[in-house]
Amino acid sequence: MIFPLLALLAVGVTVGRVFITIILSIVTGWLLGYLALKNRAFENVYISLSEVLESVPVISFFPVVLIFFVSDIGGFLGTQLAVIFLVFTAVVWNIWMGIYQAFKTVPENLNEVAENLRLGFLGKMSKLYIPFSIPRIAANLIPSFADAMFYITVSEVFSVGNSNYAVFGIGSLISRLTTLGLYNQALYALGILAVVVVFITFGLREFASFSVQRYGLDTESSNKALRRGRFRIRYSAKVSNAIAPVSKLARYVTRSKTVPVDVDEEKEKVRQWGKIGIVIAALFLLGISYSVFTVIRSVSPQTWSFLISSTPYDLVLIGIDYMRVGVISVVSLLIAIFVGYWLSVHERTERVVIPMIQTVASFPAPAYFPLLYGATYSILRPVLGGFTSEFYVLLLGFISTFYYVFYSYWMGIKNMPKEYWEVMDNLNLTFWQRLRRVVIPSAMPYIVAGLTSTVNSAWGGLAIGEYWPDIYDGRTLEVHQGLMKELALADSQGNLALVGWLSILFAIIVVIYSLFFTRKLMDLARQKYVAEEGIYAA
Amino acid sequence: MGKKVLHPTPRIALIHQSIATFPWLTALENVKLGLKYRKLPKEEEEKIARKMLELVGLQGFEDFYPKQMSGGMRQRVAIARALAADPYVLLMDEPFAHLDELTAEGLRQEIYSTIFSEDTSLKTAVMVSHNMNEVVELSDKVYVLNGSPATVVGEVIIDLERPRNPKDPRFQEYLDTLYKLLTPVKKRVKES
Repeated sequence: MIFPLLALLAVGVTVGRVFITIILSIVTGWLLGYLALKNRAFENVYISLSEVLESVPVISFFPVVLIFFVSDIGGFLGTQLAVIFLVFTAVVWNIWMGIYQAFKTVPENLNEVAENLRLGFLGKMSKLYIPFSIPRIAANLIPSFADAMFYITVSEVFSVGNSNYAVFGIGSLISRLTTLGLYNQALYALGILAVVVVFITFGLREFASFSVQRYGLDTESSNKALRRGRFRIRYSAKVSNAIAPVSKLARYVTRSKTVPVDVDEEKEKVRQWGKIGIVIAALFLLGISYSVFTVIRSVSPQTWSFLISSTPYDLVLIGIDYMRVGVISVVSLLIAIFVGYWLSVHERTERVVIPMIQTVASFPAPAYFPLLYGATYSILRPVLGGFTSEFYVLLLGFISTFYYVFYSYWMGIKNMPKEYWEVMDNLNLTFWQRLRRVVIPSAMPYIVAGLTSTVNSAWGGLAIGEYWPDIYDGRTLEVHQGLMKELALADSQGNLALVGWLSILFAIIVVIYSLFFTRKLMDLARQKYVAEEGIYAA
Repeated sequence: MGKKVLHPTPRIALIHQSIATFPWLTALENVKLGLKYRKLPKEEEEKIARKMLELVGLQGFEDFYPKQMSGGMRQRVAIARALAADPYVLLMDEPFAHLDELTAEGLRQEIYSTIFSEDTSLKTAVMVSHNMNEVVELSDKVYVLNGSPATVVGEVIIDLERPRNPKDPRFQEYLDTLYKLLTPVKKRVKES
């Protein structure tokens, strides 16, 4: 009887950590969102940094976490904070940007009423901005919960060199049970986790549905059209069905404009906010510059020369991993395109399958992957031969990430104007003609957004899978070559300088990729592929 | 012709109230969609699509995207797409509702001349409208719907020479007849 209680307690602690990070993200998101609304300078720094940091996989934050929390703070508190911070970096951007976009799209007439009633900061927040942001936050909760669970189950146990760090939770419990060969108990713990995840997902979905009905607007018209920040699409199925804010996101395609405030008194208020915003933005940049300076100073010249000379090889490793991410993304996209379309035209199946996929996606892959590996290895090994490890790594990447592109695309289809369905039926377009001429172009902004999330999550899968010592029965899952394996090895040898260097290189590449590929693709999608623009209703 | 209609077909073409064009396709490509079911050679497709655009007065705008066009021009693209499918029947759900009066009037004239053009296969058009002038101007037979739930409350045959003149006293008489059928709005009150 003690074990089930222990497992339940472990799940409770893990879920508790997840909700602490989510609540922290929401509260800070409200404050920073309001600040961004009031101050242009802060807005620019806030959005640009969030966009860049969002596209950097959680693994890049690892060195910061290790150096700061584990070494500087240390002890029980340091390890706990390290785990919470790692998860925070996984969920915060999504929630921050969701809140920011909600704040930016508060209808102008509601803003005018708030001004007219002379509501102050607290009044505006409690009566207007916070209620208005709730549907978007609610819609973000399911994917954020899934993201957090994914990372927390692997963050609960980590090692640097010879030192192992662990915090109590379901991730560390399952890891310990698997290492000890207690597979039945590991399965049992997984079962308890599954039940809790199903209940929480169900609860979050109900909350999302309620929040849209309670706080959603009938017509979300706003002249503050939005173009800042990424297109947020990682939302739940039910919300989109319930005409959630999501379905209207595609409208926000023009650059946001600040609304001129004519009254002198108001100008003064804005100026005050402006000063605070500039100070915060400056402190933010100063903090980052200082940490960069500290890191550079703490590394010896010999180490620097080694790091720089190994860079070409590191770039090759990044290239190899990009190919893996490419394979995972293309496979995910292809499956999503066909399955998503098929489901959207078979409503009965859709009603059952979508919540199922949603629940499975919330269930952290790293928790059950060792058992999946153990159950299938002896069957797949003779078939796949030397490709077995590669297959498992790609599989882990796929199950960690398929959800995002699938959902985005499916929602793109669900949000397609009904007139398009009628035109396709009326013109007797074939399956391929529908996909090529109407469905895929119509869902393009959603596909791009989903692919971006998929690419980011695929990195998470690779980070865990490329080097996984003692995954099952004493076996180690490892690929031949790859950046994430190199990172994990450097990490396990306690070579923090190499970990930091690889992370910086990786972050630079990811940012370049984000600026020159993802953003360009998103801009194209916004300019050309906005289905709502095809419906003219003056 | 003469067959039961069991599923949507391009031979019965639909024109939406909310003008539906595809923003990622040019006017010409939008119209070509209407021809896909006929599986024609590309040159033939191109030729017919251009001809249909010409028919609705959009010659020279073939390579424009819908968002570069006005509402009236977009609706013409939608009409050209419907006509390209070589339909017998045109179903129009308040096709001019989202257009300003001047554009709507111009388009009415074009629809009118298109329907009577020998270049199309059209046999008839069914239009839903709340605009009485438009109804009298374009229709041969009017079914008046009223009440909640809506039922047919009258059938009016418009026996006027074409082109019709709104200042013609008989035109006004037809208008009066239609208004009488529509006012007051009949409500079925449930008896408690």
